[in-house]
Amino acid sequence: MQNDVESFESKLLYQEMDWDQFDLNPKVIAALKKADIKSVKEILNLSEADLQRLMKLSSADIQYLLKTISRTLRKNSMLTALQLYQDKHHLTSQHQKLSLGCSVLDNLLKGGIPLVGITELAGESSAGKTQISLQLCLCVQYPYKYGGLESGAVYICTEDVFPSKRLQQLIDQQHKLRADVPTEIIQKIKFGNSIFIEHAADLDTFHNCITKRISLLLTRGMARLVVVDSIAALFRCEFGVSDSVTKARYLQTFGAQLHSLSTRFRTPIMCINQVTDAVSESEAAQCNCSAVDSRVSPALGITWANQLLMRLMVSRVSQPEQSSGVALHHTGSVRTLRVVFAPHLPSSFCYYTVKLEGVKGINPLHDMASCFKNL
Amino acid sequence: MQRDVGSLPLAPALRARLVAAGFQTAQELLDTGPCGLSKEIGISKEEALEALQVVRQECHSDATQTAGAPGTSRKCTALELLEQEQAQGFIITFCSALDNILGGGVQLTKITEICGEPGVGKTQLCMQLAVDVQIPECFGGLAGEAVFIDTEGSFMVDRVVDVATACVQHCQLIAEAHQEEDHLKALETFSLESILSHIYYFRCRDYIELLAQVYLLPDFLSEHSKVRLVVIDGIAFPFRHDFEDLSLRTRLLNGLAQQLIIIANDHKAAVVLTNQMTTRIGQSQSTLVPALAAAVPAKEAAIPAGGHCPNLHAG
Repeated sequence: MQNDVESFESKLLYQEMDWDQFDLNPKVIAALKKADIKSVKEILNLSEADLQRLMKLSSADIQYLLKTISRTLRKNSMLTALQLYQDKHHLTSQHQKLSLGCSVLDNLLKGGIPLVGITELAGESSAGKTQISLQLCLCVQYPYKYGGLESGAVYICTEDVFPSKRLQQLIDQQHKLRADVPTEIIQKIKFGNSIFIEHAADLDTFHNCITKRISLLLTRGMARLVVVDSIAALFRCEFGVSDSVTKARYLQTFGAQLHSLSTRFRTPIMCINQVTDAVSESEAAQCNCSAVDSRVSPALGITWANQLLMRLMVSRVSQPEQSSGVALHHTGSVRTLRVVFAPHLPSSFCYYTVKLEGVKGINPLHDMASCFKNL
Repeated sequence: MQRDVGSLPLAPALRARLVAAGFQTAQELLDTGPCGLSKEIGISKEEALEALQVVRQECHSDATQTAGAPGTSRKCTALELLEQEQAQGFIITFCSALDNILGGGVQLTKITEICGEPGVGKTQLCMQLAVDVQIPECFGGLAGEAVFIDTEGSFMVDRVVDVATACVQHCQLIAEAHQEEDHLKALETFSLESILSHIYYFRCRDYIELLAQVYLLPDFLSEHSKVRLVVIDGIAFPFRHDFEDLSLRTRLLNGLAQQLIIIANDHKAAVVLTNQMTTRIGQSQSTLVPALAAAVPAKEAAIPAGGHCPNLHAG
């Protein structure tokens, strides 16, 4: 079932058409040519009254034209929810997700990152956003059976230099992180070769990057994950308060372009975002954060948030929480990963730590037992 | 026969010429005949013949169609309209606060717009409605089907499964408590699979696909006459970028709204649209307002920031 994968036939319908191919009355075809109407998009952009005037046809003829065009454009576009549910094929199923490489984190997200849509990872600095993103760049290269997409990743740096040393560490320790995968399979994957690093420090470079370079990599199937680290940095210096309209337009355009790439290639887009202090209670309420994080809210406001499928927030746990003795056993480096909103997940969170081999979720019951074993 | 010339479905230029030449009713056109017509307004005999054929067809269908058929002009009193409106069904949301505000639930033959900030629950509510519209009549539902048009890709079927399962369980509890025959019979066909199979899902990736899909809706609803709900989630998304020409956008949205009103009315369906919020920057402060405001005449339900719809049906 190819409903989600963009058919290139439909893209063609926005270009110049040979009207003779369509199942239309010759009188209508002649009128189309005479009125110099070249594409389906032109027809649908005009109102019925305008079409009647331009083509000098009756409303019945115009109705038939619109329906024929629409039917051709939307052939085979219907699915029932049951078909969506029963589709288990890894190329088309909604159940297919990109694993984070840790079963605790995957369980929080009911499988992992959805393949179509923009997922945001927001949080303060050194909360672990880059760590999680690097881990995803490795996870995506595993076979479907192990939660990967058998392809590479594009990592767009917008401010800091790419952390190559840390990446190498993670690569060397994959066998430790992914104990669920046989070593022969891990050894066969050339992790470093499939991570494409891009730098884009300003808006124009970024625009070029996503419209040309990333498009190419995705078309060739060389990458099936795009990480933007970070989206907020692009907008930090360039916009004052009076430029909010321009800023909003950029955000909407980038959001739409990323969304379109994601849909066309069934490729998850992970955007890292910074946080700013929540100025008012309503702002804090807006990002649905609980008491722990109510001091901060993700940057870029509602214009950006409207583009997102899912928002995740990470933060450091400042002191051991009373409700869970877990934190006491992992001194200093416990973080929380929180689902702020997602269409398929309730608000929830879990704890994790950043180890040499990568990011690992803390399963409270399991880890307490093993901690006692280590004492 | 007394049909006004201006209301006939002819090419506008031709219509304008007929009116300018003094023709007022369809009968006058038919009486004049093709030769007379072609002489009077200076068109070829073939064009005159074609035009008269259209006129004859229109008058014929006017005469034979019953009052209730869609697409004809018919007369009724305001009281009749009011009675009809009050007799319309509702789709309940199982959230009594929301049902109360809406006056009973989401109303058939009307457009309801749901706006709110990201993450507040708009898609959830739409999924809930797509399930609730299918509740059998003996449980207070409409036993209908649903069309779900998704422009953002946020329709996650696993969540719909949660909602549908909870709804079936809820009905099962009612059936157990009341032990009535028709309840038990209805439950035989009201299952997770049947609910999922009656949600017709369309994914529209840009505004052109959305426009095309809405042109096809009337025929689809005629073929699937049990559809009582059409959801478009979200209406703003495909229109909020890529539009240098804002007047084109307004015109397209108005056209869309008009088509949806006709669809809601003709097919006795509820149309539900979700809209985004945007910041309106005022003199001293900024406020959140629905995006694309005033383009679609609808009943609005705004879900405030930080507020959650109280449990919309465990799941």
